[in-house]
Amino acid sequence: MQKSLTSQRRRSLMLAAAGTALASPLTALAQAGGEDIVIGGSIPMTGVFAFAGIGINAGMQDYVKIINDAGGIKGRKLRYVPEDTGYKVDVSVAAFKKITSQNKVNLYYGDSTGFSKTINPELDRNGNILMAGASFATELNDPKKYPNQFLVGPDYTEMFGILLKHIAKEKPGAKVAFVYSDSEFGRDPIEASEAAAKKLGLNVVVKLMTPPGSVDVSTEVIKLRRAAPDYTIFHGYVLAPIPEFITQGKQQGMKSKWMGTFWTMDSSTVMKMGPDGDGFMGVMPYRYYYDTEKAPMLDKIRQMRPEYQSTAYIQGFLAAMLFTESAKRCLDAGKELTGKNLKTALNSIKDFDTGGLIGVPITIKGNSIPVGRVYRADMKAQKMVAASDWIAL
Amino acid sequence: MRIGTLKETYVADAALFDSRTQKIWLVVAGALLVLFPFVASDYWLYLACLVSINVASATGLNILTGYTGLVSLGQAAFMGLGAYTVATMESTMGTPFALNLLCGGVVAMIGGLVVGIPSLRVKGLYLAIATIAASFITHFLFANLSFTGGTGGLSIQPASWFGLPLDTSFRIYWLIVPVTLLMLLGAANLFRTRIGRAFIAIRDRDISAEVLGIPLLRYKLLSFGLSSFYAGVAGGLWAYFFRVVTPESFPLLMSIFFLAAIIVGGMGTILGGVLGAVFMTMVPELLKFVFDLIPGGAGLTVFLSPVRTIIFGLLIIGFLVFEPHGLAEIWRRVRRYFHLWPFRN
Amino acid sequence: MMDWAYLFEISLTGVAGGGLYSLAALAFVIVYKATRVVNIAIGEMLMAGAYLFFTFAAMFALPIWLAIPATVLGSGLLGAMIERTMIRPLLGEPPISVFMVTVGLGSVLVGLVEVIWTADQRRLPEFLPAQPIMIGDAFLAPKIFWGAVIAVIFIAAVLLIFRFWRGGIALRATASDQAAAYSVGINVPRVFSLAWVFSAMIAAVSGIIVGSIGGISSSMGVFGLSVLVVVIVGGLDSVLGALIGGLFIGLVEALAGAYLGGEYKLLATFIVLVAVLLVRPYGLFGTHEIERL
Repeated sequence: MQKSLTSQRRRSLMLAAAGTALASPLTALAQAGGEDIVIGGSIPMTGVFAFAGIGINAGMQDYVKIINDAGGIKGRKLRYVPEDTGYKVDVSVAAFKKITSQNKVNLYYGDSTGFSKTINPELDRNGNILMAGASFATELNDPKKYPNQFLVGPDYTEMFGILLKHIAKEKPGAKVAFVYSDSEFGRDPIEASEAAAKKLGLNVVVKLMTPPGSVDVSTEVIKLRRAAPDYTIFHGYVLAPIPEFITQGKQQGMKSKWMGTFWTMDSSTVMKMGPDGDGFMGVMPYRYYYDTEKAPMLDKIRQMRPEYQSTAYIQGFLAAMLFTESAKRCLDAGKELTGKNLKTALNSIKDFDTGGLIGVPITIKGNSIPVGRVYRADMKAQKMVAASDWIAL
Repeated sequence: MRIGTLKETYVADAALFDSRTQKIWLVVAGALLVLFPFVASDYWLYLACLVSINVASATGLNILTGYTGLVSLGQAAFMGLGAYTVATMESTMGTPFALNLLCGGVVAMIGGLVVGIPSLRVKGLYLAIATIAASFITHFLFANLSFTGGTGGLSIQPASWFGLPLDTSFRIYWLIVPVTLLMLLGAANLFRTRIGRAFIAIRDRDISAEVLGIPLLRYKLLSFGLSSFYAGVAGGLWAYFFRVVTPESFPLLMSIFFLAAIIVGGMGTILGGVLGAVFMTMVPELLKFVFDLIPGGAGLTVFLSPVRTIIFGLLIIGFLVFEPHGLAEIWRRVRRYFHLWPFRN
Repeated sequence: MMDWAYLFEISLTGVAGGGLYSLAALAFVIVYKATRVVNIAIGEMLMAGAYLFFTFAAMFALPIWLAIPATVLGSGLLGAMIERTMIRPLLGEPPISVFMVTVGLGSVLVGLVEVIWTADQRRLPEFLPAQPIMIGDAFLAPKIFWGAVIAVIFIAAVLLIFRFWRGGIALRATASDQAAAYSVGINVPRVFSLAWVFSAMIAAVSGIIVGSIGGISSSMGVFGLSVLVVVIVGGLDSVLGALIGGLFIGLVEALAGAYLGGEYKLLATFIVLVAVLLVRPYGLFGTHEIERL
């Protein structure tokens, strides 16, 4: 026991020395041309977001493999360097510092809204990195404040917008209820979406906020029932407490249709809702793994991975695709890989075919991709089926 | 072997660093601290700053729990108060960071007094529970008051030293480490004074302390206020370091982390607070290192986060059961061995 | 203009929901009553019970009438093990130390659950009757109702046990004076083990009910914090206090949620806590005593 203390201290000092010794030749190497394009990642492979992190990790790995097998970008190979963060902001930041100090990083994937916000000044200072992330926070969709970042899909307000547009088409003047969690994630789109709903002529009858980790939602269900909405949109949750709301709501005779946003809409999550979840709808910007519509990239994914891949996988895959496309366009224009140039390249993406991952060709004008489709859960077939066309805002 | 430590004056006896070897080691440590940022990579600088902030906060908690015997689970909440104060002042008034840090400490101290006054009238574990309540109430305030930026939080401009923005780990190191050292010195000095001794008396047997003439409520409040002040300043440093504060930044888990740090390090010694904070901050990094070494470790990274949680809990339990005086005690044993060498212990 | 029907419906569901708190609070009180240990890991023990039930009922697909006893037994074993390895060695130490051990225990349990079952949220198989309960026009969710019923049954049972069964009396004796209990021949270490085993079993039942309502996840333990408020309000060592306190806090939460908004639920609970600490720190039914620390 006596020895372990001094050797721990000694070891960390040795590590510090070794780390710096190792880092220097690496940075020297990176200056030379034709070297790898590095995609760094703070990935939540453990912790509460692990189901997403594992999918994202696999998606990015697979796409990098596809590109490298085809020869890379102008002869330069892609290298994907992930670190696990357990969905904690300080671990994410530490991972970022570690990866950027050991590699010349041009593209980075972040695991959370908190991380994206914290690291933004560092990105601006670094100037060489374009970043995307798992977050769809509305605040990040601001090219002035977050010039080196983008979202791999619509932001949460846009997601609500897509759902509201669908509702307004299906039932004009309908009564809508928002049920969201008391967290930054949950509160994000509520205010703006209420205004958007009014503009579409919809009536937001009640907004219910549930405390995080709450078990008993019966009081909220009673309030919801009394408001008698035609549609109830859940946001800020993964699974709980949505099934409880639906079950109790149905028991009390509510006729509302139930909807959710991205993080609830993974097929395996919705299927966990049981028979009461039949008919659950929501917005999903991507196709599902088992979609049978014409999608060459989905076929490729199904070849590489015979078992079901989550929507998080598709998000990681698509992020890598957009990273690659930006880098390619940047190099094609003869420009250096800096954050600014990569972002300009990204914004030059117009009517881009994602190989069917998103059902329509996409254009990235700002920081987000405001496209999505409403899907509905079919419990008998254990699948999500399309309930609308692709809606672009 | 240590010989010739004869003291001839009271002043010499009460000195913090009494032997020549100690003073030499201090100079060496100081030199290392000064040299460190010039040789370390960005990643290690980041870790050093984080460790330093944790040391400052743990020392504050040590004053309260280790020296005065009052268990608090609200350290993170008071750090949050300090951090938000600094954030608000920096964003709205742009006052110099020294003033902001001081104000952060004072606001946290006031918070501490507010929590302390009702709950210190009742003994023991009720204070711990009241501090849990304080955590939730401050979280609610941070998330719902108008000027605290709601659940999105506040982002802060980097502190500036005569116009030079302290925006890299290298630069902010020079703010964080000296402040931490100052706080450590302050705490060490505190326990040479009457007030410090009163705290220790309260911890050992508060009824006897009262008999000796120590007004219990007043000194307990003082202890609580001081530890909250430390937490507030540490929180302010945290704010300048991460430059984003949100209500989620200071969860109850963080308070538990600090309590664990002083238990593992050794309650009731300044060195214990330092060792504990360093150890607990570095454990996740060490774990990652160990996982990388294990062959086939790539598949095991899925378990990194839960294993970290388990080890965290086991450390607390293990030290409490087997080594209640913590790492500081282990360190003392090592020192004693070298003091008495070549005589066997 | 008060909507009385609304108030009644909210209150009803709040009181019934408080039954859930009462059951978990009972588990806490049993341990405190017998061993004077504040077990802050009660939420995590609840979670462990829920996950055990998930393993038996969903993963091994045992029928419900087998899964529940298996879960209860398994939890009892867990409780005994915890007591033997972590609590017994700290018998003479100050209460702070044991309290911190339970904090560490909570972490260990969460980590174990994440390692074995991953941190994903899951649902438990349904086994409570699904017929909604109607009292006049007021609707009460069936799971909550049956949960409350089970809680009341258990509390009544424990009250009777403490009064009439020898083991229960031994528990009370050990609680009031360890030395005296030893001198009349009560096997005090055995009583301690028994207390922890019972506590774990009841926590498991509570976990099963809470899990079947809100699903299970590795962060279920936060339920324990609300339970802490309940036991303070009711009195740390009072079984009846656990019941009344639980119902009361359930009511407060429901009213706060209904009339103020969801974000005020926890705030209201903790304000009640602070008020109780100020006015009557030993709780409604707790025993007055000078606590030495």
